Amino acid sequence: MVALENVAIHTLNGVQYGFVLFLIASGLTIILGILDVLNLAHGELFALGAYVTSSLVGALVGAAFTPDSGLGFLLVVLAGSALAAAVLVPVGLFLEAVLLRPIYERDEVYQLVLTFALLLVIKDAIKYVWGPKPVRLEGVYSGINALATVSIAGRTFPTYKLLIIVVGAAVTVGLFYFFERTKTGRIVRATAIDREMATAIGVDVDRTFTLVFAMGAFFAGFAGAMALPPTQAHLEMGADPLVLSFVVIVIGGLGSLRGAFVGALLVGVLTRWATWLYPAMELAAPFAIMAVVLLVKPEGLFGSWGERA
Amino acid sequence: MTPGESPGPDRRTVMKAVGGSAIAAALAGCTRLLGDDGDDGGGSADVPDEPIQAGLQTFTEGAASVLGLQTQYGAELAIQRINDAGGVAGREIELDVRHEAEAHVENYQQFVDEGKDVTFGPTSSGGHEALTQEVEEQGVVNVGTDGTVTTLYEETNDDPLYSFRFQNYDVMECVTVARAVVEELGADNVDTVAGINPNYSFGQDEMRFFVKALKQMTDAEVVYEGYPDLLAEDMSTHITEVNNESPDVTFSSMWGGDVTTLLTQAQANDMFDETQIAGTVLYSAVDDLGRDVIEDAEAISGSRNWYWGHPDPGRWSPGRDLFEVARDQFDVVPTAHFHSGYGAVAAWATAVEKAVDLIGGWPSQDQIARALEGHGFYTPSGYHVIRADDHQGMSNSYYGRMTWDDDVGAAALTDVGSFGPREVAPPPGTSASDWIDSW
Amino acid sequence: MSDDRRLPGVVDRDGERRVRVMAGLELSRGRAALALLGVALLFAVPDLTPLLPGVKLLVVHQGLLFGFAAVGLNLLLRHTRLVSFGHAAFFGAGAYATAVLATHYEVAGLFTLLATALVAAAVVATVVGYLSLRHTGLYFALLTLAFGQLLFAIAQGQQFLGGSDGLSVRPGPGRGGAPTILGQVFAPEVYELLVYYLTVVVVLVGLLVMYRLANSPIGNALDAIGQDRTRAQFIGIPTRRYVWAAFVISGVYGGIAGGLYGVAVKHVRPEATLHFLRSGEILFMAILGGFQTLLGPLIGGVVFFFLKIGGRNFTDYFDALTGVVLLLVVFGFPRGIVGSLGGDRSVRARAAAVRSDPTVVLEWAVAGVGRLGGALRTAARNVRSVFGGT
Repeated sequence: MVALENVAIHTLNGVQYGFVLFLIASGLTIILGILDVLNLAHGELFALGAYVTSSLVGALVGAAFTPDSGLGFLLVVLAGSALAAAVLVPVGLFLEAVLLRPIYERDEVYQLVLTFALLLVIKDAIKYVWGPKPVRLEGVYSGINALATVSIAGRTFPTYKLLIIVVGAAVTVGLFYFFERTKTGRIVRATAIDREMATAIGVDVDRTFTLVFAMGAFFAGFAGAMALPPTQAHLEMGADPLVLSFVVIVIGGLGSLRGAFVGALLVGVLTRWATWLYPAMELAAPFAIMAVVLLVKPEGLFGSWGERA
Repeated sequence: MTPGESPGPDRRTVMKAVGGSAIAAALAGCTRLLGDDGDDGGGSADVPDEPIQAGLQTFTEGAASVLGLQTQYGAELAIQRINDAGGVAGREIELDVRHEAEAHVENYQQFVDEGKDVTFGPTSSGGHEALTQEVEEQGVVNVGTDGTVTTLYEETNDDPLYSFRFQNYDVMECVTVARAVVEELGADNVDTVAGINPNYSFGQDEMRFFVKALKQMTDAEVVYEGYPDLLAEDMSTHITEVNNESPDVTFSSMWGGDVTTLLTQAQANDMFDETQIAGTVLYSAVDDLGRDVIEDAEAISGSRNWYWGHPDPGRWSPGRDLFEVARDQFDVVPTAHFHSGYGAVAAWATAVEKAVDLIGGWPSQDQIARALEGHGFYTPSGYHVIRADDHQGMSNSYYGRMTWDDDVGAAALTDVGSFGPREVAPPPGTSASDWIDSW
Repeated sequence: MSDDRRLPGVVDRDGERRVRVMAGLELSRGRAALALLGVALLFAVPDLTPLLPGVKLLVVHQGLLFGFAAVGLNLLLRHTRLVSFGHAAFFGAGAYATAVLATHYEVAGLFTLLATALVAAAVVATVVGYLSLRHTGLYFALLTLAFGQLLFAIAQGQQFLGGSDGLSVRPGPGRGGAPTILGQVFAPEVYELLVYYLTVVVVLVGLLVMYRLANSPIGNALDAIGQDRTRAQFIGIPTRRYVWAAFVISGVYGGIAGGLYGVAVKHVRPEATLHFLRSGEILFMAILGGFQTLLGPLIGGVVFFFLKIGGRNFTDYFDALTGVVLLLVVFGFPRGIVGSLGGDRSVRARAAAVRSDPTVVLEWAVAGVGRLGGALRTAARNVRSVFGGT
């Protein structure tokens, strides 16, 4: 018999995982929607975020802050993660302005080759800086879990997971607010709908593109930062998030932020349910879900970017 | 003294080197075990001057480098000790290490092309399956460090000539942990069992053998089997299911960083209140696991063939010596994977010394292979035999509870016990499944 | 058309003597000599590799096989403009067909194994093609990728398929042997050579067939579809059926390559044959070699595979090495290796300019630095404007 509290915990696990997926996929999908580039190096930006976090937050936590500092500790970890993700901003600016910009007019296969080449180069750059062995961030996961004990349906639920859900929800709200309500956000969307029209009304498309790519890099890095504490950073870590965010954005509709959000939560929750109810499906589940969605709704759930965020 | 001028140290020099200097006296007596009366065969004019070229393929980067680098360090230390003692029949060993990646056959071929006298590795089970027949075709002896898949010499290569494997293989560690669980908890107290194992052949095989063995000794019933993807970032779904079932024992064959991920997340979900965790390769994360996790988990750990504190260092100091050298020189707590590299080199070097003694010259690959068959030798973890029939190395296996050791600053084993190979491995010619069924 | 025009030989064409390889394929004498040299080189590889340290026959062999899969993929890429990101599925289907047959059904005959590989890949391509060709562009690419990963996940999870350990392609008890060729058992080194030569023959035939196909009405129709699908439909081309057929043919190339991989490497694992990165590599091989050419993908395959495996002999950073080579292709040689060598006028013009005045290299370097500086200034301006407003 399926116990109700079990459903609740599996679903919460899925929601938490869905938010991590959304953080990664949001960048991928807005880059795709606006720049029309499928960024194969996106998973490596995620990995880079995790590695930078391991050094940066590691130093912060080791130096001055311990879990004993209570809420301060949590804030330091969050600020450190955001700071680590901010390191990805100049990386993104460089990649877009120097490497991607010259080839927008070219056949799309060159963008694939370029971003794949970047995948390989970034991976080896990580290997050069952090070495071939995995790294981890000691003390943060258990430290944050120790700050408060949260019990759901009689079971301990890790505080850190709730933190991811809260932060993920805040980022989501922020992103939608940015694209729906702010001027820059509307300009970005206008550019996505019609590049030439945007240029005609005086939008600096170059600037928009750079902004979008840097934003995507930031959120990929932030996802890496948030994903690191309960696990480890290793050289192969970019591959799975990349493929899974493909699945997410295809389900949601290429280039649609709303779609990426729904797709991420759907994939997050359904894969967790599948892992629980049909363990044999664990690895195949995301792809099976995607195949089913596409057979039913070929353009994805939300079509493409622009009219709505 | 160059190797050319040296008359060549006798075999016992190499034995001493790889066995640890403190056991020189013990070894003098033990040589009889090898069918040798203690005569110095000595070197010979037929032994070439140039150094021995050896190749090792293992994981030198990525998540599996947690295992692979240990193997590399172990091999390097064994070679360093052999060279310091004058080499094998006067020849020093030079080691070339390659990242095994997904290119096991290509790496081996490259080694053969470069004229390697011997090759070691790999770490990957699938890679070993892919490699073993290539070794037979090329005829340069490969002493497997890990790649511990059970079917290797049962099916994939059931009549090996040049392919050997030093490390205890999958079924041995699974049976070790099953026996340890019964010993620690009592057969009557194990009614339900769950598993969280890595989602690939190794994890699936380990769970199958563990359950098979456990069911022969208890009335245990499997209540949950989860298989997180290799290197999964989140194992909370599997942990939640274990919590939901509260099994008496949860078995895991996770290795490296996955162990840390599993145990850390299990601790965060209070899984250790619900179940007793037991595993075969938990020790591989010893450099990463923090004190609170270790103390919470009180994991039952089976080890393949090496634990530094057993046999008791009071009576057998080489284990402790090796441990200290590994910490000083490589900054790791040496694990069974360290020993995989160490033992594979030791097996080959001591067998070659034996062959040189017997034939009075440098042996061919065939002669080395024959010398390895049934070859017995010492390392800091004790005595090992390479079985003649299936080329599988046989060593005692160790188990105990993982507890925090302040002196080491890492997890150590307490209440260490050991099983002889016959207690945990099928006799040659019998499949592991049939053997367990026959209990 | 008279009979003699179908035969290979030397013909006069517009006063120039050309070498006829087959109907529809005539080469200038220079080109014919080059082609002959290429064929000779392919056959000579086993004799050359022992002379070249770090170059392995098995690496060249696998490079050719992945390259051959890329030749198949290129039928879609070059003509219909469809980017497949899932060609490892067909390569893997072919490879696994040989392994399953050899391991579970004790089938030893090499040609039976290869025929099954072909059929398996054709079946998989038919299904995957049916499902993914409802889309074009990136959707199509991502769909093929997803189906590829689905197969990967299945192979990884099935005991019958050996899981991640894979299956060996060594029929018979003890698994010591290799497949038999026309009922004969060969020594391993002879077998390796024979399979390599077989690969060469298959590759040559496959290239000729691809040439014929590309220059047939079907090829023209596929080109028309690639340029403008709607227009192609209007002029009466059954686009769906044509593209589907092209997809299956393209998959069959991958399947044959995978089958040969199975019998050559004799052990098939999911990571090496089905993983989505293998799909990506097959695609990038085509572009590296020059996807607007027939031969490019094949050459790209050998070069790429050599970089990937052989690169480790030179540096720990072999991935970055491959990455840099691909960056060079994107920014310096977009026509790929073969495209740049063969028909790229700009490369030839530059080569001629260097011959006449070597200092021109300096000018180019200055110009290049200038462009880089410009790009960096643009980047800096972008950064400023992003943070400071316009």
